[in-house]
Amino acid sequence: MTDKESPQVEGTTREPDSLEQHFPGILTPDEREGFDGYLVAPDKLTEFATRLRDEFGYDYLSSVTGVDYLPDEVMEVVYHAYRIEGGPALVFKTQVPRADPVVPSLVGVWPGADFQEREAWDLLGIRFTGHPNLRRILMWEGFEGHPLRKDWHEAYFEEDAKPFANRWPEGDVYRIEDKIPFGKNVQYPSEFTPEGWIPEGDEGLYAGLGQISNDGDGSSLKTDQLVVNLGPQHPSTHGVFRMVVTLDGETVTDLKPVMGYLHRNHEKIGERNTYIMNMPYTDRLDYLSSMSNNFGYALAVEKLMDIQPPERAEYIRVIMAELTRIVSHLWAIGFLLNDLGAFFTPALYAINERELILDVFEAVSGSRMMCNYFRFGGLARDLPPGTLQTIRELIFERLPRRVDELDIYLTENEIVRSRCIGVGVLSPEKAVAFSAAGPVLRASGIPYDVRRAEPYGIYDRFDFEVAVRYGGDVYDRYLVRLQEIRESIRIVQQAVDDIPEGEIQTGKPIFQVRVPAGEAYGRVENPKGELGFYVVSNGKPNPWRYHIRAPSFINLTALAEMCKGHKVADVVAILGSIDIILGEVDR
Amino acid sequence: MTVELAIFLGLAVVAVGASIAMLVSRNAVYSALFLVIVLFAIAVLYLLLSAAFIAMVQVAVYAGAIMVLFLFVIMLLGTENVESESRRPWQFAAALVLSYVLIIQFLVVAIVLPGDFGGEFGALVDGFGGPASIGILLFKEYLVPFEVTSLLLLAAMVGAIVLTRRESSR
Amino acid sequence: MISIVSVAEWIIKSLVLITIILGGFAYLTLFERRALARMQARIGPNRAGPAGLLQPVADGIKLMFKEELIPDRADKVLFVLAPIITVVPVLLLLAVIPLGPDIEIFGQQFSLGLASEIDVGVLFILAVASIAVYGIVIAGWSSYSKYSLLGALRASAQMISYELALGLAIIGPILLAGSLSVADIVADQQRLWYVVLQPIGFLIFLIASMAEINRAPFDMSEAEQELTGGYHTEYSGMKFAVFFMAEYGKMIAVSFVAATLFLGGYWGPFVDRIALLGPIYLFAKVVAILFLMIWIRATWPRLRYDRLMAFGWKILLPVGLLNVVITGGLIVVLNL
Repeated sequence: MTDKESPQVEGTTREPDSLEQHFPGILTPDEREGFDGYLVAPDKLTEFATRLRDEFGYDYLSSVTGVDYLPDEVMEVVYHAYRIEGGPALVFKTQVPRADPVVPSLVGVWPGADFQEREAWDLLGIRFTGHPNLRRILMWEGFEGHPLRKDWHEAYFEEDAKPFANRWPEGDVYRIEDKIPFGKNVQYPSEFTPEGWIPEGDEGLYAGLGQISNDGDGSSLKTDQLVVNLGPQHPSTHGVFRMVVTLDGETVTDLKPVMGYLHRNHEKIGERNTYIMNMPYTDRLDYLSSMSNNFGYALAVEKLMDIQPPERAEYIRVIMAELTRIVSHLWAIGFLLNDLGAFFTPALYAINERELILDVFEAVSGSRMMCNYFRFGGLARDLPPGTLQTIRELIFERLPRRVDELDIYLTENEIVRSRCIGVGVLSPEKAVAFSAAGPVLRASGIPYDVRRAEPYGIYDRFDFEVAVRYGGDVYDRYLVRLQEIRESIRIVQQAVDDIPEGEIQTGKPIFQVRVPAGEAYGRVENPKGELGFYVVSNGKPNPWRYHIRAPSFINLTALAEMCKGHKVADVVAILGSIDIILGEVDR
Repeated sequence: MTVELAIFLGLAVVAVGASIAMLVSRNAVYSALFLVIVLFAIAVLYLLLSAAFIAMVQVAVYAGAIMVLFLFVIMLLGTENVESESRRPWQFAAALVLSYVLIIQFLVVAIVLPGDFGGEFGALVDGFGGPASIGILLFKEYLVPFEVTSLLLLAAMVGAIVLTRRESSR
Repeated sequence: MISIVSVAEWIIKSLVLITIILGGFAYLTLFERRALARMQARIGPNRAGPAGLLQPVADGIKLMFKEELIPDRADKVLFVLAPIITVVPVLLLLAVIPLGPDIEIFGQQFSLGLASEIDVGVLFILAVASIAVYGIVIAGWSSYSKYSLLGALRASAQMISYELALGLAIIGPILLAGSLSVADIVADQQRLWYVVLQPIGFLIFLIASMAEINRAPFDMSEAEQELTGGYHTEYSGMKFAVFFMAEYGKMIAVSFVAATLFLGGYWGPFVDRIALLGPIYLFAKVVAILFLMIWIRATWPRLRYDRLMAFGWKILLPVGLLNVVITGGLIVVLNL
């Protein structure tokens, strides 16, 4: 990516402020109270995006999502683009009438928009013209309506926003569910019949062992292709994830990821909740790294509220986020080996260390996995006495030794090397284009880490290296994770040494925070990649829009690209190396 | 003698029955499996004739390796696709002629030449059918045919490799 | 002529051998689970009976009472036959292994082996090992499942490839003993185990036999992570248990063969004076090899299928051939 810097100096040095002058008539600043960025006319969107990427160096599209402004009868699509060299986001939006929301697709400009645009179509009903495969992604085809629209009401709908009215007024106990007979509440799209429904393009799957033939042109041996369903109930899909794999012998010729089995419409729940109610919900996204999920959400809301946590809280946040990274990467490495067929031994050794860190989490938050520890402007509670000493022992004595041990046993293992090197290669250009994030991006030779690119919290105070490798294969992703564990240990060591005494919460802890109207995008470098929270407030106790840029979800965009031409066994390893958590993919 | 005869008759019935089933069966996998049974029955027949070495080689090579390859290919191609729909008329005629030839051969062997086959056997030489005697036969008396066969196999192997090479270089 | 005594002898010996495989299977599973657990910083099953010794019984009862499912479009006859076809060769394999030197009971000589004296014993081992693949192939094909089919395809290709290396590895001991009889091969190792003279042959035998019995890291045809169990994906209950039995029986049988061909069989100190020590030594050697297999399973990831084939054809086979040539040459030159 170094070559990007020189020829486009003209573009990269220009401040976004002057952007309007380059796009006269296309761009208008977003002047709503608390909002920033630009509004782009929908018909000029593709042109604008292409020039933004090519001339101004915004080559990394972080997030695409929609917002349903029901009172204004407007549907808005929000884009967050970044330069891969680092720096703040360029936010641009396009507004279309809510009755017929049609926006040109940007998949041609940033392929990473693929799944995100499908999600926006699925949940908000925004049609992206020119999208190669605009189908539902989280819901199934038999779902009626677009659930994130503000006027869509779910089964057993009670009220628009929590807290709900008392269900037991004057002791008269009833359940709202009893009032709605179930059968009347199931709706299908008009031309849809659930019986005998076969998803489009899945015909090969249901053909049994009857195989589809490739079009033998006579010059080559005529072989048959087999469509195999890996998942959703499969030992190596890390949950209920499905891959429809077309095989030629053992070689993968095509792969379609299918997700949504764990979908619970997290964002709808989030928009119904009050702000603080969402904190424990974020734990359930990437349930291995609840602490850093909390971090991202707290950052977004703090941006809106314009508050800062006190020093001590900042340090504890960093300690917890980095410990989470160690936990998550240990897990990822252990289970990558499991996916390679090692019978649980590496996984169990990795989990052994993880348990010790979970002990710390339990001590500070009361829960080992669903920590719910962060609050807006601080933390739920201070470290209990002695915890710092435990962390110190872990981080200075035990963990460095154990990581070295993993390194010794795994890195040079002949089978690991032969199974991982050169498998699932993602070139740097593709990694950026597909909006890959986290270790997947860094293993492809892009040293992009939000902690460095746009430091949040107090990450600018710590001395650490951004782990980067240049092969882009499974092996390099493993090495990047290993290196990141080491760097995280370094950060925690510094944080533990420097942590001041003092308050852990700005102001009084309150349940009903007042959040001024506006929008904010808080992003953190989660273990799985860039986790972003896009929150829109209208001044009420509940967020108007609560969107999550889920790294596991977006990293999957590149899965098919990585798997083609490899063997079935490699697919499992590649998926393991992306390290997805279905709680986050499906939300 | 009667025990041996009973075993022989049992095996003969199995072998012939399995061969017929192999021909009649419409499913290629079944046919292959019936052929395996035939090969086994013949292996046991060899054992009855005190040719233990041949029997074991029969099982290891024919049943254990070649038929597995057959099955491999049948399964790889998908049996549904190899329905035998094309029966040409000349096939039937040829089969008829050949089976008549076979019957005549049997009759010739059974009636015309009884002296040569029905006569007394010589006593078994010590080590008959054992690995040592077969080895000596192969490498002394039949050395040239043995080497020619191995050359033939080598040529076939090289041919197979050349074919796959050309395939993969495309 | 066949006498009553010899018929009774065969029956008793057969029963003993079958008991060794079946009882060994049950306790090998427990041994494996406990050993794996120790290697993985766990405890392992220790609840059923003292030190978990009744765990195999509990497992057996559980598997017997499980529901037997036969997939709708499976080939029912072959589907039921497949586990049986898989387990029979395993039970046959021990027939040619001498468990100890001849012993005298009531003034009569008995050999501690069912048919260890037959002059093609080694070939018998190869023949029986080679037909073990049928059960797997039939299971995979008859299940009418894509995973099973892929597993069966892998199994058949793998077994054909590794049988060659296995055969070449066995040629070493055959050349050294100058006989295809297992009894002769063991007798010849009284002073020196063949593993000393044939270290490469032993290594090839171990690797190839692990591949032959689908043991990690060569368990391609089951490959839980890719094929969710491969050929036995669709099997449940007792039919699954029989596959399981065949698998562990194969481990035991292969260990017996390895101990017999390379590790001196039943020979050990004082066996020539106290014949009954023979089976004990053999048993100890078998357990050692079994432990090695378990250890390997706990330690190594699985190879990839195409690499396994490449390894078999491009490394194991040439090395095995070279080993045979060198062994043969040395025997001729040194006039052993």
